[in-house]
Amino acid sequence: MKAAPSKTAEMLLGILLPPACREQVLGDLHERYTGPRQYLVDVLSAVPCVIVSRIRRTTDPQVLLMEAFALYLSFVGVAQQSGQSSILYEPWGLLRLAIPAAVALLALVLADAYSDPAKRSRIKPMLQTAFCMGLAFLSQATFWATDPAFAVPLRIMFYGAGISLVVVSALRIFFPKDDNRPRGAT
Amino acid sequence: MAKLEQLVLTAVLSLKEDAYGVTIHEKVAELARPKSVSLGAVYVTLDRLEDKGLVSSWLSEPTAERGGRAKRCYRMEALGERALQESTATAQRIFDALVEALGKEGARQWGKRWGKEAG
Repeated sequence: MKAAPSKTAEMLLGILLPPACREQVLGDLHERYTGPRQYLVDVLSAVPCVIVSRIRRTTDPQVLLMEAFALYLSFVGVAQQSGQSSILYEPWGLLRLAIPAAVALLALVLADAYSDPAKRSRIKPMLQTAFCMGLAFLSQATFWATDPAFAVPLRIMFYGAGISLVVVSALRIFFPKDDNRPRGAT
Repeated sequence: MAKLEQLVLTAVLSLKEDAYGVTIHEKVAELARPKSVSLGAVYVTLDRLEDKGLVSSWLSEPTAERGGRAKRCYRMEALGERALQESTATAQRIFDALVEALGKEGARQWGKRWGKEAG
């Protein structure tokens, strides 16, 4: 009987791999399996490359730049208009406002890479953006709990996230991602 | 076209219907000897070649030897064949220039020595 990797290892690997390439990568690694050590070496050499490659394929640099501007300007704009503009003039104020924007942007990039190309929906851009704004809130909650000096005031966070949700969703609807790749795949 | 892209295209072309991740990696490793090529590098290159329209892919039926999982098979496209032909022609011109400069045996020795040093 041919040696095979453990079900647990394959299950964990399945979670780590983007759905678009999960099937073939798990199959290739299964076929090459000769022992746990070799499997680990294969996993370490293949999985990071597969994830980075998937991110490259699902990320449009121009749209990403627009999203980054939209996210950051939403928080800065709200800070300017909400009567809490003092944060803009604090030593690390602009950087503090960039934290939720950066977390949301990173989450958007990963959400694109890990979205299943087979599952398409009109509300997907909004759901993805809402999920990423949720993660931005979560990162702020961590700051509020550990080091409030880095946290963005709740009012700015709330309205900034709301505006970001609308603008980023609109960007994603007007500039849809080519997430149906690999091209020619059946 | 990068060297690894040339190697992967050559592997896809020579494997014909049996070109998928594992076999392509084996073939590329054989062609790139004595240098080693990781499985991850082959995946990244295949993705890049597919984005450029040089190869296309499809999922085959799942097989038991792969734990019930499908293969992503690759096929060379016309654009890929042309790109590989151009690369081969360039390599041939380089070799011809070396032959002209060093003589046939000298060029061969030079190539072997370089191969050993690179490896």
